[in-house]
Amino acid sequence: MRWTCVCLATLVAALLPSGLVQADTPRQVLVLYENNRLLPANVEADRGLNRVIAGLGRPVEVSAEFLDYPRFGGETYVRTISTYLREKYQTHPPAVVVAGGNGALEFLLRNRQALFPGAPLVHMGIDESFLAGLKLPGDVYGVPVRYDPAATVAQALRWHPRATRLVVVTGAAAPDRELDNALRQELAPFKGRLSRIEYWTGLATPELLERVASLGADSLIFTPGYFMDGAGKTFTPREAVTKIAEVAPVPVYGPYNTFIGTGVVGGRVPIFEAMGEMAGRIVNQLLEGRAVATLGLPAVMPTKLSVDWRQIKRWGIKESDVPGDAIVQFKSPGLWDQYRYQALGMLAIVILQSMLVAILLIERRRRRMAELAVDKHRFELAHASRLAVAGELTASIAHEINQPLGAILSNVAAASLILESGAMQPEELRQILEDIRRDDVRASDVIRQLRKLFEKHEVERTVVDLNEAAVEMAIVLRAEAKRRRVDLVVREASGDVSVVGDRIQIQQVLINLVLNAMDAVADQREGHRIVTVTVMMVDDTASVEISDTGHGIGEEDRAKLFDSFFSTKPTGIGLGLSIVRTLVESHGGKVWAENRPGGGAVFHVELPAAKRIRRLEVA
Amino acid sequence: MKPMVHVIDDDESLRTALLRLLNGSGFEATGYGSTGDFLLRHPPDRHGCVLLDIRLPGGPSGLELSAVLKEQGIDLPVVFMTGHADVASSVAAMKGGAVDYLEKPITPQALLDAIGRALTRDAAARGERLERAALMTAFAVLSQRERQVFDLIVEGKLNKQIAAKLGVAERTVKAQRASVLTKLGVSSVAELGRLAERLRQCRQ
Repeated sequence: MRWTCVCLATLVAALLPSGLVQADTPRQVLVLYENNRLLPANVEADRGLNRVIAGLGRPVEVSAEFLDYPRFGGETYVRTISTYLREKYQTHPPAVVVAGGNGALEFLLRNRQALFPGAPLVHMGIDESFLAGLKLPGDVYGVPVRYDPAATVAQALRWHPRATRLVVVTGAAAPDRELDNALRQELAPFKGRLSRIEYWTGLATPELLERVASLGADSLIFTPGYFMDGAGKTFTPREAVTKIAEVAPVPVYGPYNTFIGTGVVGGRVPIFEAMGEMAGRIVNQLLEGRAVATLGLPAVMPTKLSVDWRQIKRWGIKESDVPGDAIVQFKSPGLWDQYRYQALGMLAIVILQSMLVAILLIERRRRRMAELAVDKHRFELAHASRLAVAGELTASIAHEINQPLGAILSNVAAASLILESGAMQPEELRQILEDIRRDDVRASDVIRQLRKLFEKHEVERTVVDLNEAAVEMAIVLRAEAKRRRVDLVVREASGDVSVVGDRIQIQQVLINLVLNAMDAVADQREGHRIVTVTVMMVDDTASVEISDTGHGIGEEDRAKLFDSFFSTKPTGIGLGLSIVRTLVESHGGKVWAENRPGGGAVFHVELPAAKRIRRLEVA
Repeated sequence: MKPMVHVIDDDESLRTALLRLLNGSGFEATGYGSTGDFLLRHPPDRHGCVLLDIRLPGGPSGLELSAVLKEQGIDLPVVFMTGHADVASSVAAMKGGAVDYLEKPITPQALLDAIGRALTRDAAARGERLERAALMTAFAVLSQRERQVFDLIVEGKLNKQIAAKLGVAERTVKAQRASVLTKLGVSSVAELGRLAERLRQCRQ
């Protein structure tokens, strides 16, 4: 029992993560900004800083405080705010303090030891020149910023080569005036390039805007904005520059990234967010307890050309003149940028559809080719079958032709005899000639009829009268029936029995079926070999029945009757009925066989009537 | 009297042409559309022949006809015409007593040659039939005793032997022998022998 308790305790201890205790007490970081919390530069820097610190993977609480310079100031204010900060952070002493802006750095350098003893200081957004004038203790880290108004003006002059006048607008607050001084030095080198460089310092905003509005096309404006105008009214520099750009008839440039969007073209600027990120990296390094030097910090924050695409367009700056590494904002997104996913989706759909269409087209073509091949095959087979029929009919065909030929020979001989005898029988001779002519026509009719049936032909779709087809079939098979001593009876239908199809193929169906029937009755004694072809029309279906007086169809043969190469005849190759079915089905009809009650078989062929097809086509 | 040719073919055109040719060639030709038609018309037993299409629709076929004709005692040679010769039907035709077997289309010369052969055969048969009939008639005149004597003479018996066999006097046999020769119109025993041989053939 006791052992169990010990084990449990060990287990619980092992399962408790050791980091849990530390996680309960996050490290504190305090960021003190010089200006107002809503100053865009602060917002951006804060975003960069927080993102990097959040990426540390350890619990860190970042607090932000704002000195609200230059709106507030004076010794009392500084004392008050010092007390406030000390009291506030007594319970949460920051491990690292960050200064955002010149004023904040100054304040912290002065009050840090009293407020946050031992906490290292990280600065961000500190002007290089400002930093140069300070003597920093060893635990102060940071990468200074070089606001590069000269580079901005140089870029502006490259874009506006015809500009001869530069107006530099600054304000009346202390930092404004500092900036004004700095700018006068930095921009001095452009005096040669430009005919005039004017410094409009500390004007009241209304007056300033009026003057800006009346600037000529040869001018450019450069302004860092201002915190206070000549009338003592406070602004954020962004607000100030917004007002200026609003009325300016000429391009406005500024030194800060945060001006983008207010109407300035842009400038070569440090990126506040990058400053925040840089400070964040230093903070993380300090929190981890590692040497800052190992980060290999740059001497100054790099500047970048940042532009407002709308202004680039507005001032007619060529796209090719914008360097590729420029940060371009407000580039009105093209359809592609705006609807990339929709467009990709659409494109995918279109491609899929195209592929589908292509596949369907290919399939259709293949099917069409296959159908054509089948058609051709069927056509060839049908023709071959007709030739086979022709072979079968050779004897009767010969008879059909020999009869008139024999008659002609006899008539000619008779005529010769009459002429030799010297008897004048012109009437007899005329009759003989007439008979010869008739027999000749008869023989050629037989040949024509057969040729029509047996030669290759293009498959047609015409209206075919089944009555006519049956009669013509009977003409072709008459001699054969006679030869086989089969009675071939054709019963025509009384009304219209038109179907749509190929006349030759329909005749072939009838011929094959009648020949089949003749074969079926071959064993019967003479006088009992009867094949009856009956044409009928029932509703919209035209049908032909071919009945015989043979032995009927064996039960086991019926299923295979229409199969290729199935034959019950010793000499049959078994294609006749197979072709019949193929042809009937290609005409949209059906064919089947059954035994007649009185003996013998009957084959039914049903084809859609022409009137039904016409109706369907109209519909 | 012209020889009579019976043309049986269901093809009117051909029939007409054949009739023309045959009539023009010195025959008396008659046409029939079918074998039935021919039999119903009771052809006279006259010198002639039959020209018959071997395959006719309806009624007896050409082969059957030739059998029926024999039964009716009308012994006319038959020339068959056929649209399509095949071994089986030609053999059957020949067995059925065909004299010729013509394949259509029939050239006039072949036809006339065949008709000529048929008529020659008919004439021969007809002559033979007549002679035989005459012989039978003459033989019918002999009395019972004379026939016995005739048979014995033909067997080569002498008068004495005949007399002994019949149990009569030799003289009586002599008289009867003279009567037989007279009645049969022969002058010698040798002739009588030939006659007997013919008679035997007829009886068979």
